[in-house]
Amino acid sequence: MLHVLTLLVAALLALPLVAEAQKPIKVGMPMPLSGPPALFGDPASKGAQMFVDEINAKGGVLGRKLELIVRDSKADANEAVRVARELILKENVDFLVGTLTSAEGPAVSVVAKENKIVFIAPIPKTDQLTAADKLHPYVFRVAATTTMEGRSAAEIVAKWPVTQVATMSFDYAYGQDVTRAFVEHLKKIKPSAQIVDQQWPKLGEQDYNPFINAQMAKKPEAIFSSIWGGFFVTYSKQAKALGVFDTIKYNFIGVGEAATPETTKSMGADYPVGIWGNSYDAFYWGETAAHRDYTARLSKYLKDEYPSSWAIQGYIGMQFLTEAIRKAGSAESDKVAKALLGLAVETPIGPLTIREKDHQANRGQLYGKTVKDPKYPFAIMKPVTYVDPSRFMD
Amino acid sequence: MSVRGLAGLAVFVAALLVPALGSRFYTFLANDVIIWALFATSLNLLVGYTGLVSFGHAAYFGVGAYVTGILMKKLAVPFVLAWPAAGVVGAACALVFGFFCVRLTRIYFAMLTLAFAQIVWAICFKWNELTGGEQGMPEIPYPDFGWIERIGASVPLLGGWRTAEYFYFLCTVLVAASLWALHRIVTSPFGRMLTTIRENAERAEFIGVNVQRYELAAFVLAGTFAGLAGGLFGIFNRGVFPDFAYWTKSSEVLIMTLLGGMGTFFGPSIGALVLILLNQQIVSYTEYWPLVLGTVLVVLLFGFPGGLAGAVGALSGRLLRRVRSA
Amino acid sequence: MPDASFVFAQSLSGLTAAMFLFLIASGLSLIFGVLRVLNFAHGTFYMLGAYLAFQAMLWLGPGPGRFWLAALGAALGIALLGGVVERVLFRHLYGKEELYQLLFTYALGLILSDAAKIFWGTQQKSVSRPPELAGSFSLFGATIPQYNLFIILLGPSIALAFWFVLQRTRAGRFIRAAALDRETLGALGVNVTALYTGVFMLASFLGGLGGALISPMRATTPGMDTEVIVEAFVVVVIGGLGSLWGTFLGAVVYGQVLSFGILFFPRFSIFAVFALMAAVLIIRPWGLLGRPLR
Repeated sequence: MLHVLTLLVAALLALPLVAEAQKPIKVGMPMPLSGPPALFGDPASKGAQMFVDEINAKGGVLGRKLELIVRDSKADANEAVRVARELILKENVDFLVGTLTSAEGPAVSVVAKENKIVFIAPIPKTDQLTAADKLHPYVFRVAATTTMEGRSAAEIVAKWPVTQVATMSFDYAYGQDVTRAFVEHLKKIKPSAQIVDQQWPKLGEQDYNPFINAQMAKKPEAIFSSIWGGFFVTYSKQAKALGVFDTIKYNFIGVGEAATPETTKSMGADYPVGIWGNSYDAFYWGETAAHRDYTARLSKYLKDEYPSSWAIQGYIGMQFLTEAIRKAGSAESDKVAKALLGLAVETPIGPLTIREKDHQANRGQLYGKTVKDPKYPFAIMKPVTYVDPSRFMD
Repeated sequence: MSVRGLAGLAVFVAALLVPALGSRFYTFLANDVIIWALFATSLNLLVGYTGLVSFGHAAYFGVGAYVTGILMKKLAVPFVLAWPAAGVVGAACALVFGFFCVRLTRIYFAMLTLAFAQIVWAICFKWNELTGGEQGMPEIPYPDFGWIERIGASVPLLGGWRTAEYFYFLCTVLVAASLWALHRIVTSPFGRMLTTIRENAERAEFIGVNVQRYELAAFVLAGTFAGLAGGLFGIFNRGVFPDFAYWTKSSEVLIMTLLGGMGTFFGPSIGALVLILLNQQIVSYTEYWPLVLGTVLVVLLFGFPGGLAGAVGALSGRLLRRVRSA
Repeated sequence: MPDASFVFAQSLSGLTAAMFLFLIASGLSLIFGVLRVLNFAHGTFYMLGAYLAFQAMLWLGPGPGRFWLAALGAALGIALLGGVVERVLFRHLYGKEELYQLLFTYALGLILSDAAKIFWGTQQKSVSRPPELAGSFSLFGATIPQYNLFIILLGPSIALAFWFVLQRTRAGRFIRAAALDRETLGALGVNVTALYTGVFMLASFLGGLGGALISPMRATTPGMDTEVIVEAFVVVVIGGLGSLWGTFLGAVVYGQVLSFGILFFPRFSIFAVFALMAAVLIIRPWGLLGRPLR
């Protein structure tokens, strides 16, 4: 009898410990789910959720399940901060993975710093997020940066037989930073190149006609654009109607993911086929078995034959976090933050490493010239090349 | 002291006790609510008491937030000076913009307030050197609470709180003082004149009142208190962003005011409380918060046209009558 | 100094933007003129018009003239929606304060735009230009898309049609009378309720049509409603509330200021629209062609 009682007491005492071990690890994800940026935020959150579902099916990490809590950040820095703090204070999340715009990222980074919680940014590109004066032990990025993207584009444009180059970007941090990186690098590697015109429509501009007219009056031979997402659809429809692409002989490169399958799919025959663009992912890339497998799983998960190219950013963000938890053997932010330094992960897009110096992953993007392919009812990048940004990172 | 005064005092004491519940989240929520309550009450001075509908009240909130933020972060000015400065600059902006606005009536007035607010937003968005552009200005420092901790070491209850909690106590006291001042204003002869103007501007004009001057004074006072609310909010929010001055913020505060009921002094505060708590609850379940908010507003419009405060007032009135007749 | 063909092209692009905006703002102006309320949900009607046109194109499948059918169908659908909203809900607020009516339209916009998100998701949708107007031509050295020319011509046509209906028809006289004094009109035996429903439907039709016709030139995405509604407000206010020609003039001024403004202040388009509204209201408190309100 006494024996049984002792066992019972022991079991009761052990209970909280067991509960602790089985409590899920909570990850908060502030992501825009409304307004035009929901176009990326929504699939990115789904990619993260797919990763969580998959890992939980395999028993989770350190014997604990992962739990993803997504909240609408409305692509607004103020709202993102609010949501991040709520996730920490109300939902008691252990980590933050999320944000999209170049205003949201740095703002949430400050919240992460104050609360000493690891924050992985999967999409914001602004250099300022991990700049020396803003860097702290808890912020990490698995997105490309404006420097990497601008320079990658400059490498491509430098090979074109053109010297008169114009730029078209939104007048805010991302547009300014990526355009500056492009221009500086282009001038360095091709001194004969001249920037003949720069247009700065406001963020979210709906009518590009005046900007296009003004730009074309300067007679550029090539155009660099960083108009992103649905805004690129609007811009390119108006540019096409005004004959821009024919005039510059398709010497046009659209960064800010202008060549994602989502964009070419939604535009169908209206897409200015022949321009260059980039994308974080493309279901047709399929360079490695890992990528083909990932695409098949995502396609099933999203019930979409041509799944989104944005899901991978949420997926990779969660993948890095999970690997770091595993490496640290703990879900404590201080230990996970240390584990993230120099962490290398086999992602569906290939091996990526977060370097110690600035907490930045060498996340490149796919670049290519868009062509019509009889296999698909929309344009694809072909040949599509993964540009490793490692040499552009400093 | 009147019953209302006692009720106000009770709410104030209850608010001070929130951190004692021990949840950082409740303190966070309560802090959000009291700042928005001040912001909404300042708007009600215009909408409810003077009958001027502003679509651009966020401008003064934003200006106040930037003023306090810039002074404290970039120039290391202490809070004691940086916070009143938010009110002063808010008032100054309201004086300039209001000078033009009060010459207009009704919807034109509303649209001009909107135009000025959007210009303020655009300046905050573009002026990278001063405001940090659209990335805003993160890491506004908290006021220095070192002195209170030193005193607190010897006085029970005063010491041992977190910085965010000290800031909450500070906000509660300052907001209470501001609300008290606003209440004094609306019950003064000046405030009653505003109500007269709302009821019948022509008659007020007829008896020799300079209506536009009164309206401008109300506009400046509303801008002052919105600026003060903004000054607190920037610190609470741990950062100041251009969206503080965007029209969506103006509509949010207008909704709070209408939701709570613009006919009563504490209506807007109730609106702030209800809207923030509702948002809290809803976003945990669904991303379709606008759908829920829209439905709530429609129900409110058809069910309780006097706002929540009006509904509570009517209900308690009915109960009282029933009690008396029984 | 820019050459003449550039100035011509720039003024045409300003005119295209103006006529697009007039399409949307005319409905807003009509509702304000008669019902005395700024309809916040008008932007959502515009967005729904674009989504419905996209959906109708899918249903219709390939075929000649399907864009026009889709656009018309979308506009009629939105007119119907507007009619139902007016009959079931909005009319109960006519006696209430303006502010409550405004709040209702705001709430309606919130509900409908979230409903659109539930139906169509967050992915951008795109509609092609109708093949009949997919080309472009050259005039005085400027490239002019045929579709833009169509829009430029459509704007004044709608304005003239409005003028004709309002000035020369019985219904138009009632609408004008209702704008001035609804009680007296009712006392004279006119069915004011039906008239209001009709006005609301017509305005919704124009909003929906604007969305449908704009979709070949823009992406259809969540959030496009709030982007346009503020611009449409500005145009209506600049022109003078309730004045249709004022709205037309407001749109033209707005388009030209944007077009040429960027040449002189290339990075300040973010200020342009509100600076313009503030300037107009300070100089002319009732808008360009408006009358004082009391």
